[in-house]
Amino acid sequence: MAIIPNNHMTTNFEDKLKIGKYSFKSRLIVGTGKYPDFVTMQKAIELSGAEIITVAIRRIDFEQKENMLSFIDQDKYTLLPNTAGCFTAEDAVSTIRLSRELGIFKTDLVKLEVIGDPKTLYPDNEELLKAAKILVNEGFTVMPYIIDDPIVAKKLEDIGCPVVMPLASPIGSGLGIRNPYNLKIIKETVSIPVIVDAGVGTASDAAKTMELGVDGILMNTAIAGATDPLNMALAMNYAVKAGRLAFLSGRIPMKLYASASTQMEGIVF
Amino acid sequence: MLIYVNDKEINLNENLTIAQLIDSLNLNIKSTAAAVNKEIVPKAKYAEFILKDKDRLDLVTIAPGG
Repeated sequence: MAIIPNNHMTTNFEDKLKIGKYSFKSRLIVGTGKYPDFVTMQKAIELSGAEIITVAIRRIDFEQKENMLSFIDQDKYTLLPNTAGCFTAEDAVSTIRLSRELGIFKTDLVKLEVIGDPKTLYPDNEELLKAAKILVNEGFTVMPYIIDDPIVAKKLEDIGCPVVMPLASPIGSGLGIRNPYNLKIIKETVSIPVIVDAGVGTASDAAKTMELGVDGILMNTAIAGATDPLNMALAMNYAVKAGRLAFLSGRIPMKLYASASTQMEGIVF
Repeated sequence: MLIYVNDKEINLNENLTIAQLIDSLNLNIKSTAAAVNKEIVPKAKYAEFILKDKDRLDLVTIAPGG
């Protein structure tokens, strides 16, 4: 399996991201928002190496001449509808049901977010749990966006969500991981995959996040909002893979003092 | 009759179905979902669902998002 595009390095292990009955080679999920145009979006998605891409469900804009769908190869990418902008369980559930009527999604994967506050875009746990229960019962594979709270993560696992998606920091903030310890606790608390959704600002954030041992990252603004979104998409592609490989490879322990990498034996002077 | 499509007032002939309206707006029915007065209408019903005066129709599709 080629780990990095245009690079000779290969590894011989299969390392797939499993979400319910689905499995993916890429551990990076990308959003489609905030791009200057659909062509840039399309190229950035390709360079990111992502296989799952998130989309919103919105009223048709009759002024919009271009059809977003024509820029997405659905044989190559899994489209993940989201409930962005929903503030109640009822609205989120209706949005997902409406998305199902579109008839364009090839999987039952849905990204569930129920926002509790417009300033922080933090989720409303109570409404989120309510919506997750309903959607899981209706047969959807629910991927909930959560605050970095191990308790709510466990509750969602118990409800039947096959993944939880805690934030690293607020959506679009680019602050990176504000509480790596909570992400580690969540990873230890649940036995389902943990995908960090939101907060990554740059490639080092992505690598550090993956080095914590989480299973994947979902990001949008960090790529779309970069000065050069295409190269940032590639940087994130590398960073997620590098972080994952570093995690699997087992980093050296940190020590206070030096440990010579050159042997002393045989020294002349 | 007058109906609201995505909050825009539109004057229509009587007995128009959702499918006919989608067609008249040059939209692709394959990538359009509809709700009438906030009630989701299954796509299989678009061809028989007749719009009434003052109905509020929401037509949705995918949009950029994270």
